[in-house]
Amino acid sequence: MKHIAVFFGGKSTEHDVSIVTAISSVIKPLSLSKQYTVVPVYVAKDGAWYSDKKLLDIKTFTSGSIDTWLQSAKPVSVSFDGGLQIITNKGVGKRSKTRIDVLFPALHGTYGEDGSFQGLARMAGIPYVGCGLDASVLAMDKVLAKIMAADSGIATSPMVHANIKQYNQDPQAFEKLCEKQLTYPLFVKPAHLGSSIGISRVTNANELANALEVAFHYDNSVLVEQAIPNLIEVTLPIMGNDSPKPALLERPLTTAEDFFDFDTKYIKGGGKKGAKGAQGYSELPAKLDKTLYAKAEKLGLAVYAALGCQGTARVDMLIDSKTSKVYFNEVNPMPGDLYAHNWRAAGVSSVSLVESLISLAIERHASEATQNTVFSTNYLQQF
Amino acid sequence: MIRAVVAAFASLYSIKFITTVVYMLQSVEYRPGPYLAWLWRTQNFATVMKRRRLDMTKPALLLWWSVAIGMFVQYGIGLALIVLQIQGETSFGGMFGLALLLAAPVVWAHLVALPLELGRLLIIAPKEQKHIAESRLIFASHPAIKIAIAGSYGKTSMKELLTTVLGEAKSVAATPGNKNVAISHAYFAKRLTGKEEVLIIEYGEGEPGDVARFAHNTNPTHAVITGVAPAHLDRYKTVQAAGEDIFAVDSHVSAGQAYVNNVAKRIEPFLRDHHAIFNDKEALGYKVTNVKLTLSGTTFTLSKGTKRIALQSGLIGRHNVATLAFVAAFALELGLTPAQVKAGVAKTKPYEHRMQPYKLSGAWVIDDTYNGNIEGIRAGTALLGELEAKRKIYVSPGLVDQGVETEPVHIEMGWLIAESQPDVVVLMANSVTPYIQKGLEQAGFKGEIRIEHNPLAFYMNLEHFVAAGDIVLLQNDWTDNYH
Repeated sequence: MKHIAVFFGGKSTEHDVSIVTAISSVIKPLSLSKQYTVVPVYVAKDGAWYSDKKLLDIKTFTSGSIDTWLQSAKPVSVSFDGGLQIITNKGVGKRSKTRIDVLFPALHGTYGEDGSFQGLARMAGIPYVGCGLDASVLAMDKVLAKIMAADSGIATSPMVHANIKQYNQDPQAFEKLCEKQLTYPLFVKPAHLGSSIGISRVTNANELANALEVAFHYDNSVLVEQAIPNLIEVTLPIMGNDSPKPALLERPLTTAEDFFDFDTKYIKGGGKKGAKGAQGYSELPAKLDKTLYAKAEKLGLAVYAALGCQGTARVDMLIDSKTSKVYFNEVNPMPGDLYAHNWRAAGVSSVSLVESLISLAIERHASEATQNTVFSTNYLQQF
Repeated sequence: MIRAVVAAFASLYSIKFITTVVYMLQSVEYRPGPYLAWLWRTQNFATVMKRRRLDMTKPALLLWWSVAIGMFVQYGIGLALIVLQIQGETSFGGMFGLALLLAAPVVWAHLVALPLELGRLLIIAPKEQKHIAESRLIFASHPAIKIAIAGSYGKTSMKELLTTVLGEAKSVAATPGNKNVAISHAYFAKRLTGKEEVLIIEYGEGEPGDVARFAHNTNPTHAVITGVAPAHLDRYKTVQAAGEDIFAVDSHVSAGQAYVNNVAKRIEPFLRDHHAIFNDKEALGYKVTNVKLTLSGTTFTLSKGTKRIALQSGLIGRHNVATLAFVAAFALELGLTPAQVKAGVAKTKPYEHRMQPYKLSGAWVIDDTYNGNIEGIRAGTALLGELEAKRKIYVSPGLVDQGVETEPVHIEMGWLIAESQPDVVVLMANSVTPYIQKGLEQAGFKGEIRIEHNPLAFYMNLEHFVAAGDIVLLQNDWTDNYH
């Protein structure tokens, strides 16, 4: 059986979301498929890696016993000898090595979803699930993603952006630039964070100044976007490498005044009483007229291709319901819970979903292996 | 292999052994026969308790402590004898002591059944006989129409449907749940007021002579025979013997008042001219037409001459059409108006675990886990074959108590599954799995076959295997005592 290392946790503001994604949407169906041996790798908040059967149980985390366990647990190390091995220390002189066949990063946000982990997997030369390094970098930078999309002729909402250095030089100048180029209401977003962390909706200069401070507290790059009027927000999970397939267009049931922050999305169950997590807050499939649905689906697939996404990703879009114009908003290269609820509604079971993602990872790896990485020159002989 | 033998041997001396023994007794309702059969069949006692835990009721607690104290005393004597030999007090006591130590779990697992068997023979059986004799008089003097329901399958559905539809106009009493043996009939008789207009009594046959005894006790005026199939063959040995026992009710009712469902071929050798037959085409002279099946129910039209009644039921599956048609026709014959029959049939809906559809993760699951016979398998697979789905998944452990028919019945089951063209067949690993696989292979099944070794885990995680557009048919489920 293939050994699948599922990485979760991570040095990210989405550490806790990642634990839930990994255990409920990745490890559970992978174990049930009985096709693989699952090796859990928990990345603690300090960045250390741990692997133990105990980490397969969500109770380890929900009960808080993880903190006590971490005090005595020994971190694992890795070796890159023709692939990747997880090395577990089991006391003095005792080590066990597990050769990993596929990496499954169930990590969200920084270090996990932004290309860092993908770079490590690429260096190790083994298949990994989800978007590649380039697409991950682009997708996790909202500024770059919008520039790339716009370059492919995809509509995006007007924006202004700055990095922390530019902002710190003259915050008021940046605020004025925003007010000059954009019309309120505006959205202020950290460029690299997901799960709606650090995002604010502002309607005046005071709010803008505060929101920028908050956003720069979380990230060194921030964008300010003009809100789309008559807003319908939709999201589309997509899966595939060369021939990506969409799941169902999903509509979060929010208004522009009540956009989703982290609590609404993950803790209050989307504001719906009794609903839990991200699954209870939306209209699935989105009730749009056929033409508009097809238009949004087409734009989602175009974004997926423009950013070079592979494996899976979720494309968020904004629709002006009066003009029926669809705008690209952002891409999430590792959606929370893999958007398994949406895939199930689209006819893909949780087990089939993780099996397909692993197959896609292997397919991409095989395809990359055919690329030539060696070029012979006489450059060295000149010295 | 050696590991398995060592694990099995070690399980006898585990602290969990006593709990397992009492759990086995509780699971078979403290009946010594099935308990001993299970005990002798079990190899590793550590893997018995899969479905539930021991419920520490008073009887369970008493038995647990009896076994624990008995074993403790035996261990004590054994150890004492070994010590005495070491001290040179005896010459052969040590060997005997060792034998006592090793045999303690086996001895007490058997001794615990002894008081239960004695209690059953000396206390319970005479009491039951007294109740049954009293009920015989109650049934004989009761003025109601007394309908006996016999057959290898479909009895509970028939009983429930008759109760629901006749209940629209008559005062009806029926034996509760699956209480369908002589002592259950006796308790049912005691609760009757004498004012009921219709009594419906289910006969749960289990061994030769049962149905004749039930009929003798309950004195039926009408009999409904739902079908004959391989069931309880551990006692009946052959389907012929089971059929003969079921048709024993025939001699207790007047000619023309024994109604027989003749849809299944196995019933044919038992049919006689005086039987009133019914099926999915006709019932008591009424024609059945316009049958439509969906996951939300069944509709059909019943007609005789110029009389036409369009009926709609919440029950699913073509096999229900014959039963529904008979119940409706019988109700009309008893004097119910078409409107009353229509209202009664409209109230019928799937019973728990019998072709009961529900939604899971966007998929439709048809729970038919109380289905334990080949005709039920035929009905379920026929339904699966008829329904449209993106992906069809069939799940079953097979059937129990098929006796000498075990292999042919499960090969037939494999054919039936293949005919319904599922995309995935999930079989719970057990002794009959190879026969079902053989049937699937013979029928040229090309889909995916998945063998599950932990049924409970599979059922509990079903939501992860299914998605919108799937139809999953779960047929039968084996409790721990059948593994």
